[in-house]
Amino acid sequence: MIVYQMVVAGVGGQGSVMISHVIANAAIKEGFNVRVGEKFGAAMRGGAVSSHIRMFKGEDVAPVIPPGEADSVMALEPLEGARAASKFLKRGGVLLMNIVPIYPVDVSSGRAKYPDVDEIVRRASSFADVYALDAVELARKAGSIKTVNSVMLGSLSGLMILPISRENLLSSLLEGVPRGTEEVNRKAFELGERAMKGKK
Amino acid sequence: MQIDEDSPGKRVLLMGNEAVARGAIEAGVQVVTGYPGTPSSEVIEALSQSKMDFHVQWSVNEKVAFDLAVGAAVVGARSMATMKNAGLNWIMDMLMTVVYGGVRGGLVIYVADDPGAHYSSNEQDTRFVAMYGKFPCLEPSNQHEAKELTKIAFDISEKLELPVMVRSLTRISHSSGDVILGSISRERNRIAFDRHWKMPYRWNVYGPPGPVEKHRWLMERLPEEIKIVESLEEPFNSLRLEGELGIIACGIAHGYVVEALNSLGLRANLLKLNTPYPIPEEKVLKLLRSSKKVLVVEENEPVVELQVRDLAQREGINVKIYGRHKNSLIEPYGELTHENVRRAIARFFEVKIEENEVPGAVLDDLVVPRSSMLCAGCPHLGAYWALRMALARKGRIPIVNGDIGCYEQGGYGIYAKKVEPSFSTESKKYRIESVYEMLDTNYIMGGGYGLAQGEFHAGYRDGTIVGLAGDSTFFHADLPSIANAVVNRANVLFLALDNSWTAMTGHQPSPTTGEDARGGRAARLDIEKVARALGVEYVKKADPWNLKEMQNAIEEAMDVEGPKLVIAERFCTLQAIRLKQYKPKIMYKVVEDKCIGCKLCIEFGCPANIFYAEKNKAAVDVNLCVGCGMCAQLCPTKAIVEVVE
Repeated sequence: MIVYQMVVAGVGGQGSVMISHVIANAAIKEGFNVRVGEKFGAAMRGGAVSSHIRMFKGEDVAPVIPPGEADSVMALEPLEGARAASKFLKRGGVLLMNIVPIYPVDVSSGRAKYPDVDEIVRRASSFADVYALDAVELARKAGSIKTVNSVMLGSLSGLMILPISRENLLSSLLEGVPRGTEEVNRKAFELGERAMKGKK
Repeated sequence: MQIDEDSPGKRVLLMGNEAVARGAIEAGVQVVTGYPGTPSSEVIEALSQSKMDFHVQWSVNEKVAFDLAVGAAVVGARSMATMKNAGLNWIMDMLMTVVYGGVRGGLVIYVADDPGAHYSSNEQDTRFVAMYGKFPCLEPSNQHEAKELTKIAFDISEKLELPVMVRSLTRISHSSGDVILGSISRERNRIAFDRHWKMPYRWNVYGPPGPVEKHRWLMERLPEEIKIVESLEEPFNSLRLEGELGIIACGIAHGYVVEALNSLGLRANLLKLNTPYPIPEEKVLKLLRSSKKVLVVEENEPVVELQVRDLAQREGINVKIYGRHKNSLIEPYGELTHENVRRAIARFFEVKIEENEVPGAVLDDLVVPRSSMLCAGCPHLGAYWALRMALARKGRIPIVNGDIGCYEQGGYGIYAKKVEPSFSTESKKYRIESVYEMLDTNYIMGGGYGLAQGEFHAGYRDGTIVGLAGDSTFFHADLPSIANAVVNRANVLFLALDNSWTAMTGHQPSPTTGEDARGGRAARLDIEKVARALGVEYVKKADPWNLKEMQNAIEEAMDVEGPKLVIAERFCTLQAIRLKQYKPKIMYKVVEDKCIGCKLCIEFGCPANIFYAEKNKAAVDVNLCVGCGMCAQLCPTKAIVEVVE
């Protein structure tokens, strides 16, 4: 039985796999079975990367989420948020999105047009709850631009939509980050959390 | 978590490949070899983290890795060789022969297939090889089972004295799941050699009474193989009879099938299959006899489907069998998805389905492709740019034969660009719009150096013929190819892109790294010396970050008759930054007044070079720029300049 399922989407090199493992570890602490279906880009960096996290109990499940059934999409980049939400997000689901774009070569070479971020928000809002934030700015405030994912995870926690306690999420995060960076990541988590407080 | 953590019963998150590594540790593995190949590489990476007393190595290629594993098993060690689907093709010679007489220590072949070709040049199904070689193949349905089956594979191998394949695939190997740790075996097989162990000339296929007798021995193993797979315990090869129609779900298919049945509110006789070869005949017969018709759901080729059909025919059971190939309900290419499995089951049951509502479709026209790119400051960018400029100057209609590695992205193209097929009978020149359009041919490891020679000997004279390889590929597959070019005097240009790492698969050490799998010091091979020793007379090294130097080296080589080699030598930028050997100091920016919007820096293909169409101006993304300065070198108006703080 599926308890909760979400997509973490981003661009290769942004750390979406790492952050989905943090969430999956927290789900295990919460007592769920978990499956994380990863789709790395074709190469190590630069391609679209998404992870499907499925928390469940009992009978085996497939490694990916069926179209239109994700409870939420957490996007580290807006185009990738649109890509994941367009296929997987359910009606009434949540799209949490960092608004800072990374331009693909398809756009810079003039072969495609990068979508207007406001338009992504507007259209996604027609069927889901959308929370957009500048996670890079918050990470900078926390003290390191490398803590963008901790900001995002804090925001996710602040929305209180996961069947996972704040303590389990935060402890999994701090176990997952490089030693010596716990404090700056905790701060980033809290900044993200605060940005979402009272929004849902 | 430590891969060899001694806490049986603990539930942890493991990637499929880590689960396989853990299974090998629990089984008391003694020797593990492999060559990196996505999605299989993390098995050896995980094992390399352990300090336990087994030997683990990155071998130079899969063939060598497998030969080693066989040798270890001959003297009694529990051994394992790991590889991706295409890697298995390299071990066929030894594999098809070692089964004539088998092994003493447990020998496990771990192969990660890639239906959907996420990381591979084909969708081949390696399970056929188990059928071909007549040894068992085990296929997990999830990560926990991947660990368990790896452990069981060693036991089965020793019982049968045959190699056993554990077949995984991307959605297991590169997915993670909760795995329950088991206890770690501290026992080790005794290492000993006996030339006539249980059979005269056991390890020498020609030894009397010779190969045919040993082939007979292999064929006589089959009943025992079937008995073993028949007696596997829950949750493997489990059969539940609770309907009128039957489904066989092999490996990963199980999760999809269970979810589809639940969502459609259907019940079926369901065999969860974990041994695609040989199939557990009694259980399959029970299913066939209890079902009006049967659907086989498996990833890739009809390996199970064919055997079930064969069994039904042998036993005179007239049940219609559906699958992916004959009586096809799922298309015979691409990977399984919720959609194709659900549709197939609905058609099989002749019930209507409501397709999922996908409300996100309102976003569809906003979503543009994201073609993958080399990293900012990647040395391959410089090598490709120099090659592009050299060939544009005097290569006429060149053929650039590519290969497998990060630099294969030189053939990925731009997804958003539409390309029309051509039906020309003459050689045709195309404008290269970016370094991602450099490669004319690209198939497999080592293919480029060989194809180049074939094109030359066939008489292609319309332009320069180039073969490309990275440092790891050079030693993996290209040494015989170079020897061949020297002996047969092929007039081709070889390019070796030496960045000191097997980078594409996650930076495993290559023979030019000077490091072993566990991070210890290793010998470091020099491509130039090796090529000279093989008889290549013209060998030149250049630094790809210096575009002019690189281009000159290539152009000079183009004038030389016979085989010649240019080595683009620079340490992988990403790895240099990670290892703190390189710290970006200088940053670059675009002086807008000077930028004429020619987009040459965009054609260069570095992710740090971006372009604002509204302004018709280029820019440098300071978050990505690593300060290599290559774009500044190629800018025709010198608009890209150092940022002076």
